[in-house]
Amino acid sequence: MVEGVQNLLVIDPDKCTGCRICEEACSFHHYGEFNPRRSYIQVLRNDFEGVFIPMTCQHCGKPLCVEACPTGALYQFGNAVFLDKSKCIECKQCLNACPFGGIQVDPVTFQVVKCDLCGGDPQCARRCPTGAIKWVRADQVGYQKKVDGAQRSARLISLIVPQG
Amino acid sequence: MVELGGYAGRYLRVDLSAGKIWVRETPKELIRNYLGGLGFAVKILWDEVDEHTDPLGPDNRLVISTGPLTGTMFPAAGRYQVNAKSPLTGIWGHANAGGFFGPELKFAGYDFIVIQGRAERPIYLVIDDDLVELRDASHLWGEERNGRFYGGKTTFETIQMIREELGDETFKVAAIGPAGENTVRFASIINDLGNAAGRTGMGAVMGSKRLKAIAVRGSRGVRVAKPELFMEVVDDAYRKLLVDWGDALKETLTKYGTPNLVEAINAMGRMPVKNHWTGYWEKAHLIGGERIREEFRVKQASCFGCLVQCKYLVRSRKEPYAGIYKGPEYEALVSFGSSLLVEDVEAVFYANHLADLYGMDSISLGMTIAWAMESWEHGLLTKEDTGGLDLSWGNAEAMVELVKKTAFREGFGNVIAEGSKRASEIVGRGTERFAMHVKGNEISAQDGRAHQSSGLTHATAARGADHLTSLSCLEERGYEQVAAERYGADKVKDLVDPQSTRYKGWLVWDLEMLYALGNSLIICWYEVGWPPVFYYPDMARAVAAATGIAEFGDPNEVKRIAKRIAILRRMFNVREGLRRKDDTLPERFLKEPMPTGPAKGHVCRLDEMLDDYYEAAGIDKETGVPKDETLRELGLGELAGRWR
Repeated sequence: MVEGVQNLLVIDPDKCTGCRICEEACSFHHYGEFNPRRSYIQVLRNDFEGVFIPMTCQHCGKPLCVEACPTGALYQFGNAVFLDKSKCIECKQCLNACPFGGIQVDPVTFQVVKCDLCGGDPQCARRCPTGAIKWVRADQVGYQKKVDGAQRSARLISLIVPQG
Repeated sequence: MVELGGYAGRYLRVDLSAGKIWVRETPKELIRNYLGGLGFAVKILWDEVDEHTDPLGPDNRLVISTGPLTGTMFPAAGRYQVNAKSPLTGIWGHANAGGFFGPELKFAGYDFIVIQGRAERPIYLVIDDDLVELRDASHLWGEERNGRFYGGKTTFETIQMIREELGDETFKVAAIGPAGENTVRFASIINDLGNAAGRTGMGAVMGSKRLKAIAVRGSRGVRVAKPELFMEVVDDAYRKLLVDWGDALKETLTKYGTPNLVEAINAMGRMPVKNHWTGYWEKAHLIGGERIREEFRVKQASCFGCLVQCKYLVRSRKEPYAGIYKGPEYEALVSFGSSLLVEDVEAVFYANHLADLYGMDSISLGMTIAWAMESWEHGLLTKEDTGGLDLSWGNAEAMVELVKKTAFREGFGNVIAEGSKRASEIVGRGTERFAMHVKGNEISAQDGRAHQSSGLTHATAARGADHLTSLSCLEERGYEQVAAERYGADKVKDLVDPQSTRYKGWLVWDLEMLYALGNSLIICWYEVGWPPVFYYPDMARAVAAATGIAEFGDPNEVKRIAKRIAILRRMFNVREGLRRKDDTLPERFLKEPMPTGPAKGHVCRLDEMLDDYYEAAGIDKETGVPKDETLRELGLGELAGRWR
């Protein structure tokens, strides 16, 4: 078993400040250059209202991209979805099938690319300074979200009470 | 193509009069001698602009520059420089902004842009990797009818409309608002989340060229010369920020943003109140970091690649100010708040928001309104002058109204739009003594009476009264260990004492070089200035690993380059006719003892520091002109002997 493949990338937009360090780390790891447009994770943003949402491959349990792939280049392993470039025919069916934009075309090579979890040590999670992106064992995610959720509701209550 | 890491290796020259665009190689000697960012601009403006250039004429150059670290993973290397001869001061002008525009320019493959000439019709510049073109901006630009100004899209509208036109919301756009179009002398350039290249009227220069905006998208990325070594440098920098300074940052800048300074600076009696009349305000908590965080803050935000993350958003629910806004910085809280005795922080949010929308420097705008309010207090301005506005201290409604009028140069706003120096000369009647400026630039939110070296900074900064050129935070926050490491344990006592003038001349010159280096690489002041995390050796190591230029790895060599940049920048002003007599402060700071607060009774003892500063910098004490031997030592020998 590849280490880390039992883990999930857990993304909390509430904690994201839109610094894009994840994009820098991703592009550097995969291409040896700082180039956010080649990053497999992208921070969607509305600067005027302060909404920042990092999006990447969800590594679905029932991945539509894998179903759409005619050559078996895309495959599941543990909790993750990987792309075997040697089998890929660049048909881009996976791009159409994915509802999340988890598969993309590289702006330099114009080839299909996707998140590969950096071989078990995702650089986006490792470098994220706010904890918005975490690399967590799948069966711990629910508990972690409970902790975050409890803190959030506690905060909401303290905000609402003085105004009531 | 120059085969160097860090740099894109090419730049753009845009002649708006001719409608032509050239892509050129970044000269190697420019890189070797001037590093990037501010350094590039100093050399280009020295060569291409002179004392006869009209700042608002077609001959002025607008230089938009990045540095060798811009766009890399070195923390907070997301800023860009905008430089030109200033329409506010008539001398050296520059501003520096965060957000995401600077890195994007580098990612598109350009180290800098030189813009010259004046377009026939309003236009905007699109840079999409190798595709660079000028597009019509008539629909974004306002028009004058019967002496009144109509329309003119705000900066936020412009950013969004251009993104829609180009069909990609990831375009990074830097734009001017109506104030820039109307050449308000302190008009700013705004990009992304209200990030402002604010000071010295760079937006007015853009407006004078009929250039509404620059949109950029890039996929070329940045490569560094020694990737493994560079990532070691990055890891060390991360460790310094997150571990060594981690606790300090978590409780200050990261938690509150710069509003954290309000309470701290007020406590040392240095926060400008009532047009710099005093340095202490018993109501400071009303505009302070603690209150803003508890009651209004809705979101933390960040510039590109930053670990400090001092940006934030606020929500106001109170009409007529309700909305979600970029949270104001310390300087804006002071210039719209304590400087005008405005207690309503929500009005301050709104005024700051309007300044961003219309594109104006919040410091110069607030401080010029402060001049008007003090003149009003003394009966030197009346309702006849102001078009019926009551400019009593603390009148938030009048402040907001005047912000709007200034952007459109309506009524009394047309006077404010000239900045405090010119405005006071237009009005006359002795209001000149209430214009708190140095060299025509409004004094930022420090006071040399409470913090002696900040007075020296205001007096000597090349772009006029400014804090970012050389402000020392050693005494501001009592960084004894840093002071000892850098300058020797024997000097610590004086260095961290805000009222001591000993060693301060040397200190301010050292920091002027250090910040010139920071603005050339370019990394944010909030890891070089406050807190004082990175010093010459850290920067030398980073720039050498990024560029592969071995000489840059020597801290003494990067310091020498920084000195060259700072001295040539000073020579720019010498050529404009500035001398020692111009390195001064308004009488208020030199002769009126601080009336209240912790610094009560003190004046700024500028003369005690000025000679030391000149000596440290190799500047002639009589004239204020850099000495011939200083010029020669920096490879600027051809300038020697030409100005006395």
